[in-house]
Amino acid sequence: MSNNKKEFFLVRWFKRMFLGQRPELSAQDAEKIQTPMRQMLSNFVHKPLAMIGLFVFLAIFVFVMVGPKYWVLDLSEQDATLVNLPPSNNMMDVPQAMLDAGVADIAAGNTYGIGTDVNGELYIWGHTRITDKIDISNVPEEVRAADLQMIAAGTDHVVALGTDGQVYVWGNTRLKQDKFSNDMEKAMKKGGKAWEVVQVEASNQFSAIVTSDGNCYLWGNGNMADIKIRSKYEGKVAKVALTENEYICLMTDGTVAYTGYKDKNSPFARIPDEAKKKGNVVDIASTAKSVAALTEDGQVIVWGNAAKGEGNVPEFGAKVVGLYGGRYHYTALLEDGSVVTWGDNKYKQLTMPEELAGVKTEKLFVSNYQNYALDEAGQLHTWGLKGFTLGTDTLGRDMLTRIVNGGRVTMTVGAISVIIATILGIILGGIAGYFGGKLDMLIMRVAEIVGGLPFIPFAMILSAVIGTRLDPTQRMYLIMVVLGVLSWVPTCRLVRSQILAQREMEYVTAAKAMGIKESTIVFRHILPNVFSLLIVSMTLDFATCMLTESTLSYLGFGIPLPTPTWGNLLNGANNSIVIQQYWWQWVFPATIFGICTICINLIGDGLRDALDPKSIGR
Amino acid sequence: MGKYIAKRFAYMALVFLIVSFLMYSLYNLIPSDPARAELEGMKQTLKPDEYEKMYQDLRVRMGLDDPLVIRYARWMGLWPDVQDQGFNGLLQGNFGHSNFFKQDVIEVIKSPMSNTIFINIFSTIAALGITIPLGIYCAVHKGKKIDSGVQVVTMVGYSMPIYIIALIFMFFFCVFWRIFPISGTKTAGAIYNSGWEEFVDMFRHICLPVIVMTFASLGGMTRYVRSAMIDALSMDYIRTARAKGLKEKVVIYSHAWRNALLPIITSIIGWFISIFSGSVIIENTFSLNGMGSLYWTGLNNLDFELVLAIQMFYTIVALMGSLIMDISYGLVDPRVRVDK
Repeated sequence: MSNNKKEFFLVRWFKRMFLGQRPELSAQDAEKIQTPMRQMLSNFVHKPLAMIGLFVFLAIFVFVMVGPKYWVLDLSEQDATLVNLPPSNNMMDVPQAMLDAGVADIAAGNTYGIGTDVNGELYIWGHTRITDKIDISNVPEEVRAADLQMIAAGTDHVVALGTDGQVYVWGNTRLKQDKFSNDMEKAMKKGGKAWEVVQVEASNQFSAIVTSDGNCYLWGNGNMADIKIRSKYEGKVAKVALTENEYICLMTDGTVAYTGYKDKNSPFARIPDEAKKKGNVVDIASTAKSVAALTEDGQVIVWGNAAKGEGNVPEFGAKVVGLYGGRYHYTALLEDGSVVTWGDNKYKQLTMPEELAGVKTEKLFVSNYQNYALDEAGQLHTWGLKGFTLGTDTLGRDMLTRIVNGGRVTMTVGAISVIIATILGIILGGIAGYFGGKLDMLIMRVAEIVGGLPFIPFAMILSAVIGTRLDPTQRMYLIMVVLGVLSWVPTCRLVRSQILAQREMEYVTAAKAMGIKESTIVFRHILPNVFSLLIVSMTLDFATCMLTESTLSYLGFGIPLPTPTWGNLLNGANNSIVIQQYWWQWVFPATIFGICTICINLIGDGLRDALDPKSIGR
Repeated sequence: MGKYIAKRFAYMALVFLIVSFLMYSLYNLIPSDPARAELEGMKQTLKPDEYEKMYQDLRVRMGLDDPLVIRYARWMGLWPDVQDQGFNGLLQGNFGHSNFFKQDVIEVIKSPMSNTIFINIFSTIAALGITIPLGIYCAVHKGKKIDSGVQVVTMVGYSMPIYIIALIFMFFFCVFWRIFPISGTKTAGAIYNSGWEEFVDMFRHICLPVIVMTFASLGGMTRYVRSAMIDALSMDYIRTARAKGLKEKVVIYSHAWRNALLPIITSIIGWFISIFSGSVIIENTFSLNGMGSLYWTGLNNLDFELVLAIQMFYTIVALMGSLIMDISYGLVDPRVRVDK
């Protein structure tokens, strides 16, 4: 033993666990050397189930404590285009067949990609289900048969242009996404030179087409979007760029104009002077909330609502030749074939693959959260939103981020309330047990009342009544205190009964004879002997407190949304639609929470058995 | 015995008063003005000074300016009202008026209370019917494979929060197999030809919540029964009984079980109380019309007279529970003399 004693206890655990080296001790030796605490530990490490519980719990603990650094929580986060997505990682898995044939055009929707090869074949990849009934991958037969040359993806619909000038729309067509305007029908019927389409664009429920004679035709859901064009701009449009609900045009004379009817209060209508100069602008692009123009001398100007960093245009190493917009980011192609991106990087839209640095990019396809770069050798490089490992919730938030951050909140609340409860229990139980008499009577009556109160309703009432005047952070502290204050009773009873037993022991008499203060005897001499029991009860209480916190949050009286906890992640999961169709929204939080509490209970049970070898198997 | 019960009742009344006073003062922390709410409709038609006068009068009539203790006593029915000098409070059966339902609280509570009591008692009986035989079986066959299996299942059962169990059961029984309806206490718009049909419909709706509650309480109770039985079986008198050549059945059910009953009763009562407060969760998850969901609605709509009344109901359930526990100690174990 003397040899073993010098080793660090973890090393000793490890040896005993895996190397089977046990110290040879006679019963007498063991009794002499080991304190109850040590004995408990050494018994504990020989319990496989409890040790598994410990390791799994530690893994989860580290995961939720370190995880928030990598999956950073944004409380204001929500994205209507990414709601209720199932777990996936294939949103940018471009079919090899398309690459082999040669890429003609690629468009990216929110969660899917769609492309055509040089033979006019259509390819679709990613998560294509828009609603129960609508699936982008249900391509109409006529589209399958047609030779396609251009393609554009909107929020819930796809627009494709055949080589014969025919325009196809599919996907969600309930909001007139497929209803062409009269002018456009006329021009399409006329065909020939008047219907030589040079650009196809699609956005949030509306689409646009530019023809070579300078006409821009828009159609779709006019309630949301500005889909009209002032007649003075007819025949002068060179390119169109669609934002979420509006659009701007690049005119043939090299200026930028807001050609729609909502120019009074649109931020896009306040076009900077450089973009109004004749012949100055060569290209335009747009994100959901901003637009950008590329001037002849390679300068990029951004205006509109550039709140996500779209306006932070970087220095370019070479002249910019092409400008492309995603949902919240821009990507620019430079003269030397290199690519520069800026804007929002939440879904890694800006994190270009390393191999892209050495190659010369020929073509760029950028929309929504995805980027596709085609290099000289015909290789396709992709970066952006690949998918959500654990899916998204009803507000389009990443479940993994919410689970990791929720775990941290739940564990912190559980731990702090256990500490509060234990401190209260130790103090009150210590006083009651050691001093006895009327004080004991009073404390035990109070304990009886508090312990007899129905827990959940009482905690709900406290949280509802006091919580109305608090902000979310204060409310979190309130929940900790409420849980602590309502659950000290078992600890108090335990400490009291232990102290009643211990104070009759000889060492207390000895301490008294030496004239040590009463409080010192209770807290310095007796408590350490009770400590191992306390650890067991704290472990089990920790699980209980986590359960209670999550239950309160589930009912809406705990930690308020949008702060995630494992309880309020399941808030609203009790309807058949979520249970069946959006199973990932409850299965994952429920699983990790269940595993966590099971592990804590395993540890607690293991510790209890280790403390009292007689109780093994009880 | 009678003296003891009387003493306990006195003690219970005291605790009840303390708890109700605490709750009442808790509610008074909320800024609200019933007098102003009452006059809100007339505000436009009255002149400012008339309005002010009426408001002050009403405050006096409602007794809003009296100290907290007097207002509490009035609510409780221990102090005469300002208006007619009569006692009209909780003790006289006046539970107050619900703001949210625009009805007297007693009317609002009636049918949910019967639902809740029905569900709770039903699931208690079901859970006891399963856990006691199961616990005894596990204790007798301690360390065997079945025992270890049950141990693992019960560990999972008592570690999982009840609403997760409810979600899992909902998934299988309502969505996957479609055996039970997912929520509510009766089919929407159903017309019943007979009382029997109504009962069957209600039974179908209540079945799953009862199953979930039963399942959720299996874990803890089975473990209690098992450990109490193992304790009892390890006693010397069991060895003596076996040595005498008694049948194993007699040893287990007559000698061991009666001795194991005492710790079990403690936990049964505590668990019965926790089931009552736990039904808040189940009733909300299954949208049942019970006390728990009513409590939830009341709290969410700041309907405090309703919430206070339900809180008093919970408190009384808890107090009655502990009384029954004390009395049943004496009944089960003749060594415990409760009247001492």
